[in-house]
This record gives sequence, structure tokens and C-alpha cells, in this order.
Amino acid sequence: MFDARLGTVGVWLAFAAAVAGGLVMLAGLWSRRGTGAERRPLVQGAAAGEGRYLAPVMLVGAVVAVLAMEHALVTHDFTLVFVAQNNSTVTPLLYSVTGMWSALAGSILLWGLVLSVVATVFVWRYRGHSADPVIRWATFVLYAVSAFFFGLMLGPADPFRTAAGVTSGLGPNSLLQDNPLVAIHPPLLYAGFVLFTVPFAFAIGMLATGRVGDRWQIECRRWTLLAFTFLSVGIVLGAWWSYQVLGWGGFWGWDPVENAALLPWLCGTAYLHSVLVQERRGLMRVWNLSLSIATFALTILGTFLTRSGVIASVHAFSESSLGPLLIGFFFVVVIVGFGLIAWRGDRLRSPGGIDAPLGREGAFLLNNVLFVGFAFVVLLGTVYPLLYEAMTQQQVTVGAPFFNTVAVPAGLTLLFLMAVAPTLSWRKMSGAVLWQRLAIPVWIGVGTVVVCVAAGLRGAATLIGFGLGAMAAATAARALVLSVRAARARHVGWWRGLVGRANGGMIVHLGVVLLAVGVIAATSYRHQAELALHRGTPVTYDGHRFVFEGLRTVSSPSRTAQEALVKVDGGVFAPATTSFGSALSTVGTPAIDSGLFGDVYLTFDAVGGLGATSGNQAIANLPSGSVAIGVVIEPLVAWLWAGGLLIGLGGALALVPGTRRRATDAASAPPAMVSGTPDENSGDGDGRSEPAESQPEPVGVLTARRVSPA
Amino acid sequence: MSERRPRHPVRWVAGAVLLVLVVVGVVLATRTPQEATAVSSPLLGRAAPALTGTDLNTGAAVNLASLRGHYVVVNFFASWCIPCQQEAPDLSRFHYDQSRTPRGADMVSVVFHDTTGTARQFLRSNGDLWPALADPGGVIAEHYGVTSPPTTFVINPAGKVTAVLEGPATEKNLDSFLRAARVQAARSTRG
Repeated sequence: MFDARLGTVGVWLAFAAAVAGGLVMLAGLWSRRGTGAERRPLVQGAAAGEGRYLAPVMLVGAVVAVLAMEHALVTHDFTLVFVAQNNSTVTPLLYSVTGMWSALAGSILLWGLVLSVVATVFVWRYRGHSADPVIRWATFVLYAVSAFFFGLMLGPADPFRTAAGVTSGLGPNSLLQDNPLVAIHPPLLYAGFVLFTVPFAFAIGMLATGRVGDRWQIECRRWTLLAFTFLSVGIVLGAWWSYQVLGWGGFWGWDPVENAALLPWLCGTAYLHSVLVQERRGLMRVWNLSLSIATFALTILGTFLTRSGVIASVHAFSESSLGPLLIGFFFVVVIVGFGLIAWRGDRLRSPGGIDAPLGREGAFLLNNVLFVGFAFVVLLGTVYPLLYEAMTQQQVTVGAPFFNTVAVPAGLTLLFLMAVAPTLSWRKMSGAVLWQRLAIPVWIGVGTVVVCVAAGLRGAATLIGFGLGAMAAATAARALVLSVRAARARHVGWWRGLVGRANGGMIVHLGVVLLAVGVIAATSYRHQAELALHRGTPVTYDGHRFVFEGLRTVSSPSRTAQEALVKVDGGVFAPATTSFGSALSTVGTPAIDSGLFGDVYLTFDAVGGLGATSGNQAIANLPSGSVAIGVVIEPLVAWLWAGGLLIGLGGALALVPGTRRRATDAASAPPAMVSGTPDENSGDGDGRSEPAESQPEPVGVLTARRVSPA
Repeated sequence: MSERRPRHPVRWVAGAVLLVLVVVGVVLATRTPQEATAVSSPLLGRAAPALTGTDLNTGAAVNLASLRGHYVVVNFFASWCIPCQQEAPDLSRFHYDQSRTPRGADMVSVVFHDTTGTARQFLRSNGDLWPALADPGGVIAEHYGVTSPPTTFVINPAGKVTAVLEGPATEKNLDSFLRAARVQAARSTRG
């Protein structure tokens, strides 16, 4: 009972701080419109940006609420309805803690906590600029969004609702206490989602003040990069979780929950590329603002799709009545965002256009068309069942084939762009220079295809994917080698060649290539079957040797597992069927023989003679004493997880300030100095004379405008 | 360019090696793996001969007639036949996919000129989950006109033989013959 009261106080404190913060910021912004003489003392304080002190208050409220919730979960305080539904007396500590995000209300609480952290870091980071109208508008937006989420917790998603007389709970959903990844995947994903609020806030700030294209766009990019890094790692860990827990041997099913995370990722990734065109050339401003707004809107739409129960999803772990509120908030975001763009349209016009199709701008444009086009298709596929049902009263499902039809060509084209675009110069370049830079990657790509064909691999799309992947990896590696070499030549430490935006970006590219190769191999050469294993008799399938050694029951208060001990090529693995706590249903717990070149994935499907003891389908044709084991052979699937980690590493390295030229310096420094500074462009570290590159580039006037320090 | 002759022995060697690799690759790429082919048979379009007996693994009764209403794939095999060993993983995969498809095909294997013990050993070492019949005296094989394993029959829900394949079946060609049989059935019901 104490936890419930404390938690409610925390939520109220955070909500009040968010509302008050928003009002103070708004009052300050409003008062700026009058003349100085009209300002009243209270508002004068606000005008100086005092509203920012409310962000830490909001954080305190959120932390108090989260601690109260965790205390209730860990001490099994079943007076809280949320605890009774998502915890039991036998739930282990780890899954008691993660229980907070096993269901809707607690997830929103986690969202609120992350948002409070982000808002506090935001006001702290820009404490020197608190009088800047862009920052004040952005702070206001952060408060407004926070108020919305804390408001949800006071209304329909109250995590601290109480009920008397409950002495034991059900425990979390069985699937959510089978793997420790539930402790990190959701928080990372939420951090990714929530961090996209900051670029949105900046976009609104820039639009409201009309100061589009100044240095805040660079800050906006850094926040987007941070969000991208968290979201990428979160998505890959989610795929890993799904692979390890769900027992189907797959990692991506185009499920609405997965699409909800992919949509903002696609838009955010598009933004990270197109914003470079704005920084360097002053182009694509409306586009970049639209992407920031769209990315945030998609995080809200995704939350609506997965939390409102409107779409049946295999892992929508929570349904609620939040639908109308979330969709309403989505429309507010969209209307305000794009309304502001329409209003500021005249100020947003770019000074100039793209000079030549064979140049970096053209490549980024194509990249954006692909990312956004792909996002549109995923969105369409995700909401189509909803729209169709609304119009015809009939239910349809859009399956993986629809998405794959688009994902394969889009993915291959993106690999091609990753192979070629980093070698392109800004504006335009000659074919000879391009060939000089591309020769090695092209040969590596061709060689890879030849080796693959010689090794017996077949399938045009697959081979093209491997070839382009190798080529893209070579392009990224080439850029990194040149960059490290240039750093050593300047005696600044070789590691400087690996940090900074461009170099971190190339490491992200390497991660994406690893991931892509893993996905292509694991989906193209995946073999799945169900084998009857008779005790002691070796079975050979796809080059692997399986021996069934017996059954074993493993019991603890929190779980009971029936394991089939299967020896695979020497190591013993134990696929099982498990029931958790007092839950009656069992879930399959796969066992995975994971290796660098491929995984053998085992599921325990049935026991002979006894039929379906495990809750799996009955298999009639199995003598008693034997087991049916599902086997999936998946080559290179581990590369996918490694790729995800490398993307995270690359994102982190890209956030470390490198020795790159600041966009704001470009116009203020004399041209000679500009051409002398090391560029983030991969080709610039060459040390060779490359005419197209060595020209100082005119930078749009607006991108070069400095913000005067407060 | 025209004044100095290019002297890049490494490049020439690399180019030559690459060319050889490409040729080897093309040769390998154009080789078609040995695969089952459809053959003509007097049974095509006629009712499949009776198929009854007990399952080698479980001892349960197996009767083709009881599978009427389903597509059935009947596979004749022997443990001594290399192509049978070659096709085994593909049959497992095909069986797995069919067992998870609504109205998917059933499978029955028939031993061809082999001892029961080694045939059972063969089935067990492949982890087969579908029934298999012994054929003492080769009576069933004679009725089906099988002369060399592996031979595979596709039988439609009406109990008629729609395809006969000789040689190692692959998941892909079993899928395509099954699909063809379904298309044919859909046409005949419409016509």
C-alpha cells in the first residue's frame, strides 16, 4: 500500500513538473512578443528560461515512481494490480525487476523515466543557451510530451492501481521470463524511441522561431544519432531475443511490433544521411525537418499500433484502452509539425540545387528515397489490415511475402549505395577518380561472388547480396584505413582515424554489412526439419550428427522444465518445454548450438508414445521412448548479432568528436585553410591529388550562421 | 600511356588467376545437380495399387486407402542405394513443411529389396517421422512397377497416381510436382 501511495506521488510530481515547466516556458516565449516594459516580474524570470529547473524535478518524480514500482515488484506487493498481474511469489529477482516493462502501465512508466532523463540531460547540456528561443521552444515540447505520458499514468495506464485481497499473482508472461535479454532489450528500444523526441523538439523549435538551418540542426543530428544507436541495438537484441525464445528459429517476422520499431529506424536513418547534405550544401531543409517530425510521429504511431490492441500481434504483451489517446496525440504531432512546415515554407527554400547526378548529394537523395519508400511500404503493410477491416468488415493479414518483395530489392540497392556512395565527392566528380576509388571494392565484390559460386552456392539475389556486401565492406574498410593512415601522418594517434562522424559511420556500415550477410545467408540457406530421435541411435541431417541421450526434468520453484538431452556433433544440448510459476501452459525453450559459421537450433517437439506431453502438436508416428526434435540449420546467423553490436559501437564512435571540420567553420575560415583541414570525406585522406575534392566548397549561408552565445 | 609499355606482372598474374576462377565458377555454376526426373508409367492417371502393412518403427497398421482425401507421396527406398541417402534430408524437409501446411501431403515409404533390420536402421539414422512399410518378396514394388530405387509416386486425394519420379527427389521438385497435381485437380473440378 505504501508503494502505491509513494508511486502515485511520484507520478503526480512528475506530471505537475512537466505541466508547470511547459507553462513557464510558454509564458516566457509569449512574453518575448511584447516589449520589455510590458514584462511582469514573474514572467521575466520565465523569460530567462527558469522553466528548465523543473526537468530535474520531473526526473525526481519519475525515479520515485519507478523505485516504488520496483520495490513493490521485488517484495511481491500484490495490493498493486500491476504487481498481481505481472509477478508471483516465486518469480526470480531478475524477472521481478524486468516485470515493470512486461505490461503496458509499467512500460509507460519506463517511457516516462527515460523521457525525464532525456529532458534533464537536455536542459543541462544547453544550460548556457537557455535564453535561445530554439532551445526554449524545444524545452517546451519536451515538457509537453512528458506531460502527455505522465498524464497517461494518471488516467488509463495507471501502474499504481490497487486492489485488496490478492495474495499471489500470476507472474510475468512465460515468454518474458525465459531469457535475460528482457532486461536490456526493452530499455534500449525505449531509449531509442524516447530520444527521437529531442530531434522533434528541435524541429518544432526551429520552425517556430523560423531559424531553420543553423547550428541546432547539428545538435539535432547528434541526438538522432544517439537515438539511432540505441534503437539499432535494441532492434537487433529484440531479434536475438525472438530467436532464442520463440522456438521458430527465425529472428524477424514483420510482426506489427517489429514494424513499429523499424519504421522510426528507417526514417531516422534517412535523416542521418540527408542532414549531411544540409550541413554541407544547405539543401533538403524541409525534407530534414519533415523526417525529424515523421520519425517522432512514427514512434507514437508504433506505440498506438502495438499498445491499443487494434492489431493482433504475436507479441503484443499488453492491450489497453489507450488507443484513442495515442492516436489523438499522433495527429496532434502530425498536424502541429507539418502545419508549422507549411507556415514557414517561404523561409525554408534551399539556396541552390543538386549539380550532378553522379555526386554525393545524388546518392544521399537516392538513399532517402529508398529508406522513406521502404518505410512507407512497411507502414502500408502494417496498417492495411486495419483499413481493410474498417472498409469491408473482413479481416486480412499481410504476411512476410509482401514485405520481402520490397525488402529484397530495397536491401540490395542500399548495399550497392553503401558500396559506391562513400567514394563519391560532393557536387560532381569524374569517372576516372571514381574508378580509382572503386577498383579494389569492385574486385573484392566480384571475387566474393566467384568464390561463392565455386563453393556451390546458388541463387541470383543471394549471390548479388554477398557480392555487394563484400564490396560495401571493402569501401568502408578502405575509408577507415585511409583515415587511420591520415591520422598517423598527422601524429594525432591512429585511433583518431576511427572516431568522429564519418569514421563511426563507416564502422556502422561494416556492422550493417555483417548484419545483411547474416540475414541473407540465414534466410537463403536455412534448412528446417523435424527428426525422430531414438535413444542412442545417431541421426545425420545436413552434415550434423544428433544423438538422443535421454529425458531429464529440472525443477525449481519458479520453473519446471522437461529437457531432451541431445548430443550435437559432440556437445550436449537440452531443448526443453518449460512451465513457469503457477502458469498452466508450457512454452518451448529452444537450445542452440551456436557457431561462427552457423547455428544448429533445436526444439523439443514431442515424446513418442505419450503424445503431446509438452503442449506441442501430437505426433502419432513415433515409437515410445523416442522424441521428435525440430531442427533448424542456419548459416552465419551469429553475424547478425555481431553486426548489431558493431552498429552500436560505430554509433558510439561517431558520437565522439573527431577532428572533422565543423560546418560553422566552413564559411568563416578562408578557403585555403578549409582545403587544408582533414575532411570527413573518405576520399580526402588519400593524399593523392583529387581535383574534384580539393576545391573548397561553398556552404549555404544559412548553414554557416553561428548562434551567438547566451 | 602509349610511350611506356605497362609492366605490371602482378596485375597480369592476378588477372589470369581471376580469369581461371571465373571459368571454374561458370563451369560449376552451370552444372546441374543430379535430380529426380518425371518418367512415364502405365500407372499415371490410374488408381494407385493397394499398399498395406505395418510400420517398421511403431508396428502400427498402415493403409494407403485410409489416406484417401489427402495427397500422398509414396517413396521406394533401400539402405544400400546412394541416391536414397542423398534424398533423405530433402524428404525430411518436405515432410516438415507439409506437416505444417493445411491439407499438406502425407508420406509413406516402402522398402525396396532390403532387409528389415538395415532398412529400419536407415530410417532411424535419418530420423524419419512418417510410416515405412516392409515389402517382403517385392510384391508392392512389382504392383507399382518399381525397378530401381529411389522412385517416388505422387497420389492425389482421389487415390490416382499423378506423377512418377525416378532418381533422388529434392524438396523443390516434390513441391513443384505436388503443386502441379493441385493445379490439375482444380482444373478438372472446374471443367
